[in-house]
Amino acid sequence: MRRRLPWLLAGGIALATGAAASAHHSAAMFDAENPVELAGTVREFKYTSPHTFIVLEVKEPGGASKIWMLEGNAPSNLVREGWWHDTLKPGDEIRLTVQPLRSGAPGGSWNSSRIKFNDGRPVVLAP
Amino acid sequence: MPVRSIGALALAAALAMPTASLAFDESKYPDLKGQWTRAREPILGGGQAPFDPSKPTGRGQQAPLTPEYQAIYEANLADQATGGQGNWQGGKCYPVGVPGVMTLYRAMEIVITPATTYILIEHLHGTARRIYTDGRDWPKQIEPTFDGYSIGKWIDEDGDGKYDVLEVETRHLRGPRAYDPSGIPFHEDNKTIVKERLALDKRDRDLLYNQMTVIDNALTRPWTVLKKYRREPAVQPIWHEDICAEGQALIRVGKEEYFQSWDGYLMPIRKNQAPPDLRYFEPGK
Repeated sequence: MRRRLPWLLAGGIALATGAAASAHHSAAMFDAENPVELAGTVREFKYTSPHTFIVLEVKEPGGASKIWMLEGNAPSNLVREGWWHDTLKPGDEIRLTVQPLRSGAPGGSWNSSRIKFNDGRPVVLAP
Repeated sequence: MPVRSIGALALAAALAMPTASLAFDESKYPDLKGQWTRAREPILGGGQAPFDPSKPTGRGQQAPLTPEYQAIYEANLADQATGGQGNWQGGKCYPVGVPGVMTLYRAMEIVITPATTYILIEHLHGTARRIYTDGRDWPKQIEPTFDGYSIGKWIDEDGDGKYDVLEVETRHLRGPRAYDPSGIPFHEDNKTIVKERLALDKRDRDLLYNQMTVIDNALTRPWTVLKKYRREPAVQPIWHEDICAEGQALIRVGKEEYFQSWDGYLMPIRKNQAPPDLRYFEPGK
């Protein structure tokens, strides 16, 4: 399921992206002004640097699936928040807000402050 | 006296002499051990940590660029606004290089030895800066690198017999480099000189300052910024591996960047972005 959120935060404060702290590349490819909410099943959690990735299968209206490639912050930053290489596992049902690619292709940037399990539990408890 | 006997006497005399002491007196140097990270300060204007942490990102940096290089910077910002990378090379897994790497997008370790101080940072590529403190002169010929060639000097500023400041000068840099992810450019002649003064805070010994001054032909004047680093409290910190080729989805083809899909194919980044140029592929094959 996918829901567009036209303007998530007021005051011109952009939702921090996974690219924010890593300085691997400019984050301008992601549309910070039009974040979207995704709910789906984790196919893979890549705990790599400079970016982690969540491969997320999202069921579209009509029953078809779209697989999103979602770029996140580096392990060196996530570990401070309690993340580890097995924090997410294939099969986990999650809900998160992402900044999508400007092109509309199924890619985007996720942030650890905007992700939960589908049943409402936080993915990690703050250390 | 036969030569052999003189040689034997000389050898015996040499063996009898105490060996020259090569002891490294650690107490003369500031304690810079441990893991250093960028001091947690708000990033003014949002986005990624800029070169001058006291000013907002992007144009807010007020980089003293010449009109020619300000125009290059503006063209870079226009490219980034539509999803491109502009002048920032990190997306191609190029090293950030000096001085940008000293913003500490990743943690730093400092290792002091008598002749060389090493600055180790694993960000996109394993940076191992060597700051030579053995009194050498600049070599006549040197291959330029992203991290440059650094000569340093320890200074005892307060005369207490212990070093307080490490002064560093770095030359022989190569590009392409930018100051920070907003793409502030260096002159294409790569004749940048970077001067640094590293010193611990007098009261907070877990706070390290780095006053950096950049001299570059794309600037109207030297540009000085103050960076602050915080020593992490963990006794056994984690040092993360950073393998750019593994952890990135950006792929550059020609002059365009694309985003790699979950199954390894190219996806557009910009609206209405053209597919990659296949000029070297024979049609129909």
